[in-house]
Amino acid sequence: MTDAAAAEPADDQGQTRDLSNARDMIVCEEVSKWYGDFRALDKISTTIKEQEVVVVLGPSGSGKSTWIRCINRLEIHQEGRIVVDDVELTNDLRNIEQVRSEVGMVFQQFNLFPHLKVIDNVSLAPIWVRKKPRAEAEEQAMAQLERVGIPEQAHKYPGQLSGGQQQRVAIARALAMEPKIMLFDEVTSALDPEMVKEVLDIMKTLALSGMTMMVVTHEMGFAKEVADRIIFMEEGQIVEQGTPTHFFENPTEDRTKLFLSQIL
Amino acid sequence: MTAPTTHERAHQRVPLWRDVIVLKWVAQVFLLVVVLSTMFFLATQAGDNLRARNIVSTFDFLERPIDIQLSEGIDTHPDTGARALWTGMVNTLRISVAGIFFATLLGIVVGLARLSDNWLVRRLGSMWVETLRNIPLLVQMIFYFSVLTTLPRVGLGTGPINGWFHISNKGISMPRVFIADGFYQWLMVVGVGAVAAHYVRRHRQRIQDETGAMTSPILWGIGTVALFGLIGIFVHPMFTWMGGIFGAIADLLDSLPIIAPQILFSVVALGVAARWISRFLTDHRSVRGHLSLSDDDWFRIAFAALASLIIVFVLVRWTGFSSWTLNSGRDLFHVLEDKFNVDGAARPFDAMRPDIIQKSRFPNYGKNGLTMSIGFAAVFFGVVFYTSAFIGENVRGGILAVPKGQSEAAMAVGLGRGQVLRHVVLPQAIRIILPPTGNQYLNLLKNTSLAVAVGYSDLVQIGQTTYNQTGMTLPVVAIWMLFYLSCSLSISVVVNWFNVRMKLVER
Repeated sequence: MTDAAAAEPADDQGQTRDLSNARDMIVCEEVSKWYGDFRALDKISTTIKEQEVVVVLGPSGSGKSTWIRCINRLEIHQEGRIVVDDVELTNDLRNIEQVRSEVGMVFQQFNLFPHLKVIDNVSLAPIWVRKKPRAEAEEQAMAQLERVGIPEQAHKYPGQLSGGQQQRVAIARALAMEPKIMLFDEVTSALDPEMVKEVLDIMKTLALSGMTMMVVTHEMGFAKEVADRIIFMEEGQIVEQGTPTHFFENPTEDRTKLFLSQIL
Repeated sequence: MTAPTTHERAHQRVPLWRDVIVLKWVAQVFLLVVVLSTMFFLATQAGDNLRARNIVSTFDFLERPIDIQLSEGIDTHPDTGARALWTGMVNTLRISVAGIFFATLLGIVVGLARLSDNWLVRRLGSMWVETLRNIPLLVQMIFYFSVLTTLPRVGLGTGPINGWFHISNKGISMPRVFIADGFYQWLMVVGVGAVAAHYVRRHRQRIQDETGAMTSPILWGIGTVALFGLIGIFVHPMFTWMGGIFGAIADLLDSLPIIAPQILFSVVALGVAARWISRFLTDHRSVRGHLSLSDDDWFRIAFAALASLIIVFVLVRWTGFSSWTLNSGRDLFHVLEDKFNVDGAARPFDAMRPDIIQKSRFPNYGKNGLTMSIGFAAVFFGVVFYTSAFIGENVRGGILAVPKGQSEAAMAVGLGRGQVLRHVVLPQAIRIILPPTGNQYLNLLKNTSLAVAVGYSDLVQIGQTTYNQTGMTLPVVAIWMLFYLSCSLSISVVVNWFNVRMKLVER
């Protein structure tokens, strides 16, 4: 687990952090994917450093979710290479399971397991994947639930929680595996407006603690405040990338300008 | 709270014929009276009509000798009508239980096959389902029967393995393992083993929870029972003394007056009703102790109280039930006494090889082997294959109904394929699969009555023979209906119990 106290405190805007000497966590080289004739990803190449927070923006259908889902192989890319923490994603089942246990993912629809109590949702993978004793796993699960601020809900079922609480449990569930990378796939899109903030606040804390994060979102405020780098995608390609200051204040590409003019 | 006051005011002002509450009560009572008097009318009418046509419906035939020979069952030459029908019930239950078990196994295989990644397996699964569920079960049974009758005729020297395993137009015969005199004592040893297994399992589970080591507690529990079963083969005579206890209970029951069970059952009936009403009231009380009951609720309470009073009245007026319980209880414990008072050297199990005997011109299977007649086989394959197609569809539908996000989320935290299935997909799918599969079990039980078409001695077939000989059609039909109804209700109760237990907790 990335210890919050040991991590270097990021500066206010998180924009001027120098990560050039950090290790490569995710390397994508010319990644392409098709659904039938439709090209969902078109030669995506980029490298995400350790502790870097990358926000992926773009209109719907631009391939953001497909790309993020390729990184723990919920989708299979057809061309190019994806290397996560020095492990290349191939058809090798061992590589896939290794990557998945080191990459946490949070979904738009929460996807909590409705038949398990909150605490069992969080401790399921540590018990069965990490082979931890139940008592220890539950203790750590409680610690994660405290981290996301809802330890008192531990013995309820997901169906009894609000959307924001469910999404926080989902974050705790991903964190319980002590991942090196966290992927967030439009995690606030299915939430009522008043619950968006509680989830974003946890993500900010997580970013400040030094977690490597890749975030697909429509929350521009979050992108401005937390991102080290913003990647703008359209039609399966990376159109433009840069710091939030560059991206929001003087974007170079016309398509980026159009996108910004539509949403701001 | 303003609700009670408006409620009271409504009572003061509204005339009776416009008061919803009064009208509801009148309707309930009226309906009850109509239903009861209709039933009474129909029963007396039917009785009068039958008497007028000189048809006497009694259940006397159950105790009279009957001339019937059955192809298979616990008693092939039953001496009374009751014994004949009982043999039929056992045969029906035998085929239903076996059918439900194998149809479930096969259904799961078929359902998973239809979801397989393998093209060939998937196609075979679809073919199985589409063929079997679209051909009437009766046609299938007759088909299996006619295929099986083309097998070679039974002879003294037939069999694939003579003396061990025979296949012929009389069915399949193989060695039979059966319970012998020492079985009940042995069962006691196994019972002790089950208690021990409970503690062993708990102990292993605790170790697993504390250390994380995989201790397979369930396997250990099963192993403990198996170990006791093995030891029990040698030490079971140690339970012979229990015969004395059962004998004492039988003597005690024999000496009790009829009033004793009458009092006991009356107290139970009143107690159950009182407990139900008090629970009902607590359930309908809010946290602050405010009681709000609808008219329906009042009606239910009144009905529960009335029902218990009627039971008490019947018990007091009609001593038959009470004396019957005493007598059969006494007989039961005498039987148990006999089961335990056996020679200490008796074995719990015994086995016999199949035999072929020739009494007249044609040889046939003897009694020693475990014989599956072709009638049984035709009904068995019929209901198993037919029901497996439906259960397979339930399994497939249940698994597909678990949202894809569930398995994605499970994979994303690093669970392997088998773990995803075991911990996430199946626990949710089973909740969807179970209710319709319970219906299929009911269908299977009822479909076994088609056995009459292929000459398997099930309850319906024996019942037909019985009423042809005795003329007691209505009593036999009543017994049929009561039997199928109680079996179906038992299955429903079990399935519903599982459903309630497995319901997902929602807000």
